[in-house]
Amino acid sequence: MPAYILELIVVGLGLILLLLESFLPRLGAKGLAAIGSVGLLVVLFLLPSVTGAPSESTGIIWKFYSADSLALFYKGLALITTILVLMMSVVYVPVMQRYLGTGGGVGEYLILPVFTCAGLMWMASANDLTSIFVSLEVVTIGFYIMVAYMRRNVGSLEAGVKYLILGAVSTGFLVYGIAFLFGVTGQTNLDVISTVLGLLEGQDKIILFSFALLLVAFGFKVAAVPFQMWVPDVYQGAPTPTAAFLSVGSKAAGFIVLSRIVDAFLGDHGVQTGDGSYQDQIQRVLLVVAGATILFGSLAAIPQTNFKRLMAYSSISHAGFILLALACAYPVRMDMASGEVVAFYLAAYLPMTMAAFFVLCIVRSSRGEEEISVLDGLGKRSPFLAFVLLVSVMGLAGIPLTVGFLGKLYVFQAALDQGHFVLLAIATLGAAAGFYYYFKVVRSMYWNAPSDQDAIAVGTGSRVLLALLAAAIIFLGLNQGIILGFLR
Amino acid sequence: MPLPLFILFSALTLGFAVAVIANRNPVTAALCLVVSFVGLAALFIGLSAFFIGIVQILVYAGAVMVLFLFIIMLMDIEEEERKHFDRLRTAGGIAVGIGVAFLIGGVLWDFDYGKASLDDVPVQFEAAITLREADADSGIVRSANATAALREGRLKDVALVGEKLFNDYNLHLQMIAVLILIATIGVVTLGKKDSPAPDSGSSGGDKASES
Repeated sequence: MPAYILELIVVGLGLILLLLESFLPRLGAKGLAAIGSVGLLVVLFLLPSVTGAPSESTGIIWKFYSADSLALFYKGLALITTILVLMMSVVYVPVMQRYLGTGGGVGEYLILPVFTCAGLMWMASANDLTSIFVSLEVVTIGFYIMVAYMRRNVGSLEAGVKYLILGAVSTGFLVYGIAFLFGVTGQTNLDVISTVLGLLEGQDKIILFSFALLLVAFGFKVAAVPFQMWVPDVYQGAPTPTAAFLSVGSKAAGFIVLSRIVDAFLGDHGVQTGDGSYQDQIQRVLLVVAGATILFGSLAAIPQTNFKRLMAYSSISHAGFILLALACAYPVRMDMASGEVVAFYLAAYLPMTMAAFFVLCIVRSSRGEEEISVLDGLGKRSPFLAFVLLVSVMGLAGIPLTVGFLGKLYVFQAALDQGHFVLLAIATLGAAAGFYYYFKVVRSMYWNAPSDQDAIAVGTGSRVLLALLAAAIIFLGLNQGIILGFLR
Repeated sequence: MPLPLFILFSALTLGFAVAVIANRNPVTAALCLVVSFVGLAALFIGLSAFFIGIVQILVYAGAVMVLFLFIIMLMDIEEEERKHFDRLRTAGGIAVGIGVAFLIGGVLWDFDYGKASLDDVPVQFEAAITLREADADSGIVRSANATAALREGRLKDVALVGEKLFNDYNLHLQMIAVLILIATIGVVTLGKKDSPAPDSGSSGGDKASES
């Protein structure tokens, strides 16, 4: 079965859900989410059996679509993320209902992630500037709607407008960058572009300029400094499941595309020479952006009191670590290419972030607030939720024995191997700041006195899922081979 | 395309694009946009992209602009108020604009391929025919009619655009179908009016609250 069938199945699933939502209203949010996640699970199990381009490739689709191991890995990430987001949305439905007015239903909120997932999967496979652009737009338009979905909530609307306007600007930069790159090379396929760029001489300025424009566009998507202004406001205003989706799904897809583009620009320029060639300058720019992102994200997270804003800044700082891995192109220890370090970090980031947002969803639907103080005494009131959140923030901070530690370890090793000592110092500082601000959450849960004694009700499904996520964070942290096995 | 014409139409496009932003009356701004589109269409035609030029006029200057004007009239958008920006911000904006203009100018100045004269960009029939035949040999659908027309020195550009769009970029076409579907869902859900009394049977969401 060719790989592109997967997206067709996902889109078909979305269409079926749309029909069910209109013609079988009895199904309700739970029914829709259940059918959606079962369908996506089936696609997830089909994933290992798909084939890439046939060797005697004739189909024109393979000029725009690749199905290498990295693409399949990111497709898997997109599917898992979407399933978790659907589950989270079911928990969040009562909160949303409050802000929808009498005319709105939540049905579409459970269907849009499925279509967006198809877009994310297309992005994972896109190896042509045209397919990158179109799939990116599919994803972004889906997110515009999901962010603004609580239309009676001023925060959600504000977040929607901010995301829409800044997203449109970044799309403008993307198109401009594509136009310049096409002007230089006359090609849109990234592999061909890489070859052509290797043959060009004396065109460094315009090549760098087109890369800069593309970096602006994708810097916006992955929340790199200085294009991160939207992140805190949008995370805070958006419905919590959407914030989780943005922080994992959108970021992962942004990074796979960015790493493909960086690869195309760097070509086979393997060794770091510092010769002032454009490849060298691209690496330097990436390093500067990575350092700034880690510093800004970590330091700005310290004074936050709102849990979602804290997660937003922490997501910026994680983006910095991933960019650092990307900037250390070229095989590091353990035969991992930088693309694999990036993929590993994102795979590690998924269960940790999802678990944190999931707990927040449950707390929010019972307490109606998202300040960190709402977690006060959670350790006594709901020991299970507190434990899961503890594991998740431990992972995010990068404490050994969790998968988050391994992710950071690989990044540090890569930076060390390439001799980026200033960046190493910055990354250490960022990780240390991480310990501090994640510890605020732990302190609130276990040391602060609870404001009320009632336990928070957790459904069986959510309980199982949370337990699975917590187990994954620790288990994957002990067996690094599992994620690496999927990568190859 | 002769240089004077290029300069004329570029000036038309850019000048009226600036007028779109500068005008505070929305109807005037929309009409300026029409003129800007016409200039752009002329540029397309000057580059032998006849079909795209015509589509630019029919679809953008025609249909899209009529929709724009309809919305402006229907929603009764009033003249925008005069906004006061503080000096520092205005100066900053202008400085960034000039900086970017210099950057692009500098980049393009050093760009070798940009030095070809506008007068000598003929349609490259020979190269196109060779490319099409190679593609046809490797199993990609290429209309024989269009190739024959190219041999006679005619540019069947509707056929060529259609061929590109529905064969080569078929995947993208399907993706855009999904994109438009998502956008439609979004418009419907975000733009829904509150019904005066909740109608229990009308949407899944109302039921969802009970589940």
